[in-house]
Amino acid sequence: MTSRRSFLTGCAALSAAVATPELVRAAVLDRVAHDWSLATRDVEADVSRHAMTRLHGRAPAGLEGTLFRNGPAKFRRPGGSVTHWFDGDGLMRAFRVSDGAATMEARFADTPKRRWESELDAMVTPGFGTVGDARAKVGSNDDANAANTAVMAVGDKVWALWEGGSPMAMDGATLATEGFVTLRDDLKGMPFQAHPRVDPDGTIWNVGTNGDMAVIWALRPDGGLIDGRMLKLPRASYMHDFTATDRHLVFVLQPWVFARNTMPFSARLDWRPEMGTLVAVVDKGDLSTTRTYELPPFSHFHLGDAWEEADGTIRFDVPAGEDVQFGVDGARVLVEGKGRVPGAPSLLSMVTLRPDGRAGFERTDVTAEFVSADPRRRGLRRSLTVHVTGERGDRPLATGLAVRDWNSGRSDVFDFGDGHVMEEALFVPKPGRTAERDAWLVVPSINLAAARTELHVLDAARVSDGPVVSWRGDVALPAGFHGTWKG
Amino acid sequence: MKTLIAAALLLAAPTAAVAQDPGKITFEFETARAEGAVMVALFDSAEAYGGGAPVATKQAPVGAHGAVVTFENLPAGDYAMRSFHDVNGDGEMNVNPFGMPTEPYAFSNNAVGNMGPAGWDRAAFRVEGAVTQAIELK
Repeated sequence: MTSRRSFLTGCAALSAAVATPELVRAAVLDRVAHDWSLATRDVEADVSRHAMTRLHGRAPAGLEGTLFRNGPAKFRRPGGSVTHWFDGDGLMRAFRVSDGAATMEARFADTPKRRWESELDAMVTPGFGTVGDARAKVGSNDDANAANTAVMAVGDKVWALWEGGSPMAMDGATLATEGFVTLRDDLKGMPFQAHPRVDPDGTIWNVGTNGDMAVIWALRPDGGLIDGRMLKLPRASYMHDFTATDRHLVFVLQPWVFARNTMPFSARLDWRPEMGTLVAVVDKGDLSTTRTYELPPFSHFHLGDAWEEADGTIRFDVPAGEDVQFGVDGARVLVEGKGRVPGAPSLLSMVTLRPDGRAGFERTDVTAEFVSADPRRRGLRRSLTVHVTGERGDRPLATGLAVRDWNSGRSDVFDFGDGHVMEEALFVPKPGRTAERDAWLVVPSINLAAARTELHVLDAARVSDGPVVSWRGDVALPAGFHGTWKG
Repeated sequence: MKTLIAAALLLAAPTAAVAQDPGKITFEFETARAEGAVMVALFDSAEAYGGGAPVATKQAPVGAHGAVVTFENLPAGDYAMRSFHDVNGDGEMNVNPFGMPTEPYAFSNNAVGNMGPAGWDRAAFRVEGAVTQAIELK
């Protein structure tokens, strides 16, 4: 006979399991992988070069070159997995467009991290959001280098860039890994971040940070070192990107500040909106003087190319967030592929820094990430920004792309719909043309229904017309982060 | 019976010889460059390895085939080794402005740490008789 006590215990257990509609919805969301989870799928092996199938349209005459892209593509192994989008192994992609046809290939950066984790068949290395475990072998920062964030083309090489370590050189023709780049013996292992900025004369600027200390890199267009100088920043803040005019380096120091020394990396940081955002402007020729500006608090990963007006006013665009939920938790849910990704989408915004010390920050209502601009106007006045768009609170990742005209305040948008995850779009100038709109936009997407990666070309002057040509590859690669076009 | 005793003695002989021989450890260093010197420190306890005094230190010039360093007359026991390749010959392990070594370094067992130098648990090895380790200093 069932005792009263065990009956009550049973009731308690039962009531805990009573399902409200909210709980049912949450449970379903938690358990069913979303279609967008292809964006963080695992790639098990290098993808050999193959012809992409033309779906519609024609490749524009004169569009010849290679879109190199980098991004994480291996997250899970039987013995352990990374738990954050930023921590997967870097996969270098090459989309080569020639004679009206396109090919696609991809090869993993052969890093010490990937070698050790392949041997273990477990991902054990601590990262931006991954705790890692005791099997990790991290004797120096490059032992944790995932080489997974961006790519820079120098000569016939491409450098796979990460945030906390050295560039990893790969062969541009075969994508074979050659090894970490040491720019000067005494600067071996100094971080070389993922977002170099290029002067109108081709000089490459970059930064590497450790708390409030930064190394400022200046390189020749062939990748040779001009100089590596140290700079103290006015705040120890998480900085994924910086920007530059033709004369100045601009550091946007969000109120996501270093508070403790621990791993994963993101656990070192506290979001302190009451501190506001600080901007430091430094002369490229003389790092000793820093002008600072104060802005309202916003979070960001990426910045647009900056420019300077005749009176010294500096402007640049930024996809600005309200907080750091995406960076801390959202990017974790993206790897889980199920559940709701927290964090509101970033909004395209414009920062103005005036010579008298006043600073302005204006948000548009356009959701945006992965901003880029005309490479003919790097560091110079421009009016256009291309960016991905269409991300919503209930659905992460972008579904479209847009060109914003800052003069007219209008956006020219094309939405591929929920069936696509859009990646970063790049401006490719039309040969022999100089106007800012005389460019193509080259952009890959993941076609979720077809489960294939596609490559699209749009005319920068008529984005809303949609692609002038689209090709489809044989596989779906997970979403990449950043690329570069080599004509 | 006599045969059995002889066989037992034969078997025992090598063990006895090892127990009486002083320990010897040879490190064969492979380096990326044929210049400078290899600087080596040997420790006989976790405490010493963690910041105390080494039982012995040696340095050896690096030639075309790397460098070989031998420590002899060691009591049987557990040891660990720290080394670096002093490429520019200034006697110091050079570091970059953020404090990371810019010259190659290695630990016994080719052990690698986890967010820092390899600990005693990874680098310690047993010395009884003659031991050789090939160490990669790259």
